[in-house]
Amino acid sequence: MKRLSIISFAAVVLLFASCKKDNAPAVVEQKDFLVNGNPTGGNFNFFSFSQGKEVPLSDSASNKWDFAMRFEKIIVNNGVSGPGQAGAQVINTPFDLITEAPSAGYKYDTTASQLAVKGADWYSYNAQTRTFSPVAGRTFVFRTATGKYAKLEILSADPTDNNGNPVVAPTRPTKIKYKIRVAYQADGSRSLTPQ
Amino acid sequence: MLNVGRCFAQTSNDTLVKDPLEEIVITATRTERKLGNIAIPVTLISQKQLKQTGALRLNEILQEQTGLFLSAGTGSNAVGGGIFGNGIQMQGLSPDYTLLLLDGEPLIGRQGGVMDLSRFAIGNIKKIEIVKGPSSSLYGSEAMAGVVNIITEDPKDNHIKASIRYGSFQTLDAVVNGAIGGKKTNLFYFFNRNSSNGYELDSKTPEKTLDPYRNYTGQIKFKHQFSDRTKLSLNLRYFGGKQESFYAINSPVINIGGNGITRDLNINPVLTHRISEKVNSSLRLYGSVYEYNQSLDSLKNNIAYYDDRFRQQFWRAENQTDIKLHASHLLTVGAGHTVQLVNTTRYRETKRQDLSYVFVQSDYKFSQKLNLISGARYDHNTDFRSRFSPKLALHWKYSNKLSFQFSYGAGFKAPDFRQLYLNFINNAAQGYTIYGASEFSVQALEQQKSQGLILQILPAAYQITQLNPEISQGWNGGFRYHHQNGLLVEGNLFYNRVRDLINYLPVAVQSNGTYVFSYVNQKKAFTYGGEWNVQVPLKKGFSVFAGYQLLFTGDSEVRTQIREGKIFGRDIPGGAARLMSLSDYGGLLNRSRHQANLRFFYELPSKGFSANLRFIYRSRWGVTDLDGNGFANMDKEYAKGFVQVNIAATKQIKKQVEVQAGINNLMNYFDPVNLPNIPGRQYFLTIHFSFHH
Repeated sequence: MKRLSIISFAAVVLLFASCKKDNAPAVVEQKDFLVNGNPTGGNFNFFSFSQGKEVPLSDSASNKWDFAMRFEKIIVNNGVSGPGQAGAQVINTPFDLITEAPSAGYKYDTTASQLAVKGADWYSYNAQTRTFSPVAGRTFVFRTATGKYAKLEILSADPTDNNGNPVVAPTRPTKIKYKIRVAYQADGSRSLTPQ
Repeated sequence: MLNVGRCFAQTSNDTLVKDPLEEIVITATRTERKLGNIAIPVTLISQKQLKQTGALRLNEILQEQTGLFLSAGTGSNAVGGGIFGNGIQMQGLSPDYTLLLLDGEPLIGRQGGVMDLSRFAIGNIKKIEIVKGPSSSLYGSEAMAGVVNIITEDPKDNHIKASIRYGSFQTLDAVVNGAIGGKKTNLFYFFNRNSSNGYELDSKTPEKTLDPYRNYTGQIKFKHQFSDRTKLSLNLRYFGGKQESFYAINSPVINIGGNGITRDLNINPVLTHRISEKVNSSLRLYGSVYEYNQSLDSLKNNIAYYDDRFRQQFWRAENQTDIKLHASHLLTVGAGHTVQLVNTTRYRETKRQDLSYVFVQSDYKFSQKLNLISGARYDHNTDFRSRFSPKLALHWKYSNKLSFQFSYGAGFKAPDFRQLYLNFINNAAQGYTIYGASEFSVQALEQQKSQGLILQILPAAYQITQLNPEISQGWNGGFRYHHQNGLLVEGNLFYNRVRDLINYLPVAVQSNGTYVFSYVNQKKAFTYGGEWNVQVPLKKGFSVFAGYQLLFTGDSEVRTQIREGKIFGRDIPGGAARLMSLSDYGGLLNRSRHQANLRFFYELPSKGFSANLRFIYRSRWGVTDLDGNGFANMDKEYAKGFVQVNIAATKQIKKQVEVQAGINNLMNYFDPVNLPNIPGRQYFLTIHFSFHH
């Protein structure tokens, strides 16, 4: 019994020691995010990194969300878009290779036409098929509404109906289903080393 | 373009004896030359080949030729585009860059840059000449990849011919043609009615893949010889086509429908005069009018849903004079003026373009073995920068069997009307706006910004200036080996460098969040590869033709970015991104690396019987970009390669009656998404009547 507690004590010490040296790993999760597919009107859909999921529209005036999407438009919880302190930047480096969030370079939703994220930052639009595809290798690094850090990769964007079932032209999609990968660092550090 | 002179010339029953290289071609130099003596890659499709394959429309025969790909039009499934955007790709360049000629005069009426080849009936064609490599030194704009010249029948050998065909999809095709006349005055006439009930390749969509259509073509060619020295010809052609279109728009069933009506008229009087033994001159006048009107209505309440009108006129006067300086030097000089008028629902007003040009060509024989052709053309016009296009071609007869050819040429394509004059707000699809370069001004955008219609003017807006023509340089080098026993082997390597490709890009963000687009000269591309053709006459009426093209294409800038490690891609849709290497780069979309054909012909003239079996292979080609890097790299971004098999047989049953039966696409290959213009298996039966008097 004594031996056991010594071992567990040592383990706890080791754990703490390792926490001091390296921050806790960011948890990588893959999700589907179904958003309003109307490019010009209607509500955004709101996402929280700390909860790892979409949050209701009723939270839109709070710090409970970090970024939101409608069709291909992305807003962050800051400036004209929300009360939080969220910011974002898009980096041309694959998701897995980003181990630390940059200390500077974040952009904010300063005005309705000067948003943190521009379409050209992360997707390419095909006027012939009228579809857009997320550019491979572009990774979003976020500062969250509460000042923590997270990274995000948009893996795919598919036009769907309200239930998330794919639709093809000429049927108009009512939603866009994004397949995303996120990693959130809860301890406030900039470390984004995956688990 | 090594196939300098691929000849499937089976112009007489004794094909195996007759030398195909003795055939006369005109397109490569604008003067009559023997196919075997030409320094430029030329393919000749003879009337016999047209007849034996049973092709009805131009697209069907061209897609069987080495190095020519048929591509579905860009708007094939979209409202306003016909599925019949059947254009051909040559030396890896898009359909926009091949000039199409009818008896030497340019055809007009492109939609989205693509000339719909199914507009052209086969029944009045004497032969088709295909010249590969830039030929703007003789023909000006559009002759960047090459030239396809459709040469129609001459009025001679008094006769009447008629044929009727019935085939799958209720395809009905009736032809009457004939020639009458005497020593000095002759007339050729041609009439064709062609219709089909369309076809369905994908039963999951409510729309038919191709809706029913009906086409009429009429042609009259009149020739009169005033004297030994002076001749007049007058060519008139009319095409009228009705393509039905039905769509299910935001609906599970068909709810929108209507017609697209195409009309196309060509008038071409040519006066030829031999001024002296050494000087020949011709005056060519040409007019063409092309109209396309599409109107779609809601089928529920007849309210107009879509209405698009396009009318283009082309008028030209041209003189060409050939001067024999001495026995081994032929000089050709020419000049002309063109007026083009375009009016559509998408432009502000009727647009007019004036273009003047001069060209000169020297055809010099150093010896029996060495021939040098040099030439140039200058095009001056009102709406875009003028263009000088040189050409140089060398033919070296190493021996009676073996010869080598080398040619260099410059090509250009003038900015097309939409790139200059489009003034279009798409209210149906999210409300984006497109301005042609001549319609665009930063001042207008700034004014709209002050009115609150525009949120932001992008830096690109300040780059928009006068558009330049898209330009290319092409090099071709090849050999031709022809053995007395009839074996013919041809090879050609080609390299095309294209600059100033016109691309649209966003220039401003509108208050509704959508973009304003305009056009700039921006991109560079290259294509290179080789083409090989072999013709083997076997014993007892059998002959075999084989052709292969290897093709590499790409955007030079994309390659640079890949080398610099800036471009990523995915291996499956939604998979993780990884760094792309040059081996991942699939080149320009819509290009197949390999294309091949293998064709067997059998003839038994004593029994009036002939038959053929043709295989056409195309390797996979990139069709889309799913990972945003702008090119095809993962398997899912490619359409699958295929083999198409066609078979036909003809039997003379009476002196005046022949019966032909065939199956096109025997293996029933189809791909409704990527090649909706290839229907499934089709059977046909044709009866030909011919009377000579």
